[in-house]
Amino acid sequence: MTARRRDLFLCLILAGFAALLPVVSGVRYTVTQTTFFFIWATVVVQWNLVFGIGGIFSLAQMALFAVGAYTAAMLGYYLGTSMFLAMPAGALLAVIFSVAVGLACLRLRGPYVALLTLCVAQVMYLMIVNDTDCFTNPPAGCMPLMGGVRGFSRFGDLGFRELLGPAFYIGHYYVGLAMLTLAMIASVVVIRSPMGLAFQALRDNPAYAAARGIDRFKYQLWIFGLSSFFTGLAGAFYAVNTGVVGPVVFSFSHLLFLLSMIIVGGVGTIWGPLVGALLLMFADEAMRELGDLRDIGMGLILVGCVVLMPRGVVGLLEDLARRRAAQPARNAPLPTKESA
Amino acid sequence: MDVSLQILASGLTLGAMYAISTAGLALVFGAMKMLNMSHGAILALGGYLSYFALTGLGLPAPVGITFAVLVCAAVGVVIYHIVARPMLQSDNFETRIFIATIGVGVILESIILEAFGPQPKPQPVSVPGSLMWGGVYLPYQNLMILGVAVLIMAALGFALQKTRIGRAIRATAQNRDAAQLMGVRIGGVYALVLAISGGLAAVSGITISSLSSLLPNMGADPMLKAFIICVVAGLGSVPGSVIAALFIGVFEAVVQYIFGVRFSFALLLILVILVLIWRPHGVFGRVQGVRL
Repeated sequence: MTARRRDLFLCLILAGFAALLPVVSGVRYTVTQTTFFFIWATVVVQWNLVFGIGGIFSLAQMALFAVGAYTAAMLGYYLGTSMFLAMPAGALLAVIFSVAVGLACLRLRGPYVALLTLCVAQVMYLMIVNDTDCFTNPPAGCMPLMGGVRGFSRFGDLGFRELLGPAFYIGHYYVGLAMLTLAMIASVVVIRSPMGLAFQALRDNPAYAAARGIDRFKYQLWIFGLSSFFTGLAGAFYAVNTGVVGPVVFSFSHLLFLLSMIIVGGVGTIWGPLVGALLLMFADEAMRELGDLRDIGMGLILVGCVVLMPRGVVGLLEDLARRRAAQPARNAPLPTKESA
Repeated sequence: MDVSLQILASGLTLGAMYAISTAGLALVFGAMKMLNMSHGAILALGGYLSYFALTGLGLPAPVGITFAVLVCAAVGVVIYHIVARPMLQSDNFETRIFIATIGVGVILESIILEAFGPQPKPQPVSVPGSLMWGGVYLPYQNLMILGVAVLIMAALGFALQKTRIGRAIRATAQNRDAAQLMGVRIGGVYALVLAISGGLAAVSGITISSLSSLLPNMGADPMLKAFIICVVAGLGSVPGSVIAALFIGVFEAVVQYIFGVRFSFALLLILVILVLIWRPHGVFGRVQGVRL
């Protein structure tokens, strides 16, 4: 079995197990929290393509998430578009936006990219929050074009409320699971393909990659485009799932949460982001009681992990496995001069 | 005419405030290739510490400001020893330290939030009164900020150019290994550079909050702007970053007058993207040949 088949197989098995959860545990809180896990995991699995596999330290992922969420919410709110159409529309717009950001970052390296993409998100946030001109005047009060500080609500849903009644959250659970499974399969297919190898080559040795005819321009735009579809979709689904979209999606603690997931799990590994997302969801749950101290805990986890465990949990396990595999060779008698 | 002079005056004040925090960032990046994402939180910490010393402890202003500057410098040293030093030798130090300092910034900001609460607080360090000069309205506060900025920049420039320690910093920035071979204790240089940067952040936090007010997240916006200025100037160039800070301050004042406050950051960002497409290493940045 090739590595690619193994990983895809593992994806489907995990998805199968996850599908049983609402049947086994009917607790609403567990199910809705797991739905959030699906959303965040989708974002970090795709972010890993840019940051881990492509080696481009872009922080634009939250902005792409917001583009997806806002597109879906605005289409639903202003035009009454069905969410079945508005969600893919949000994802597609995120792709276009991401390719534009990729173009702007083409000539930059390393932390310059992080700064520029962080500023892009900050500008979007300021443009939305500082907009006080009324675009429409519904009975609820003045509504700026982008929703202003208040954001959007009541822009439609996927119709699970009519279909399943009070158990509508189970519908959302399966939509989220399907989205994460597809995102994970897409990620495995990309990483284990010639294109994924090209991304990794450009990351590890740009000059050698270029000498072998790998076009940085082309592949950077590809990776920005590829990684943004599911990010935008996750944003749109987040909008549908929570029923509100506001400037809170740009908040720094969101970014910190997602960045911690990818770092704790292991940057550039296939399963790292998924593991990190799971661990951080549990950590977040454990710190729920701490209130405002939660951010301090998140910060400590992030700093501790970057300082002590730069390759994350999955990277650490891979290193251990490799060391164990190398052990017998080390114990074998070394060839001496006489025997040689 | 009066209007343009007025815009120039407020633009220069803005630029002077930016210059103080930008110089610290540029110094740290130049010496150790570290983008300090906790700079904004240290800046807010400086503002709050001065508030705490003056309002809470009733200390006189010079003592309170010195207290704030010293504590923030100490925070810089702590960041060096706990966060930066263990990863200095790693391959992707630039990315790792960037992420780690994001975490440090969040921790500091949450501590400030816990200690002082989310309500805005007034900065007690202020000079009342103003001056009318040729039809231009100049509050003493703004003049003081300009004066402080010029003084600090002059002192920093002198220290970097003429003193032994300044030479050690510049040598480390130029070539870490060569400096180390010549007997420069680069660990000490790094700690010192972060301490200076922390102290400058405190001054910048006090000046910025004296014109608006203290908020736990007040550092985010000045820090991003300081980074933009650094990028425009070319990361690591201290004199370049001061010139760029003054230019960006005036640019922002002009944009705010013509288009309104809302668009100032957006237009600033567009300007930066254009500059970076024109010169990816910044206007004053050294174009370094990349060795592959």
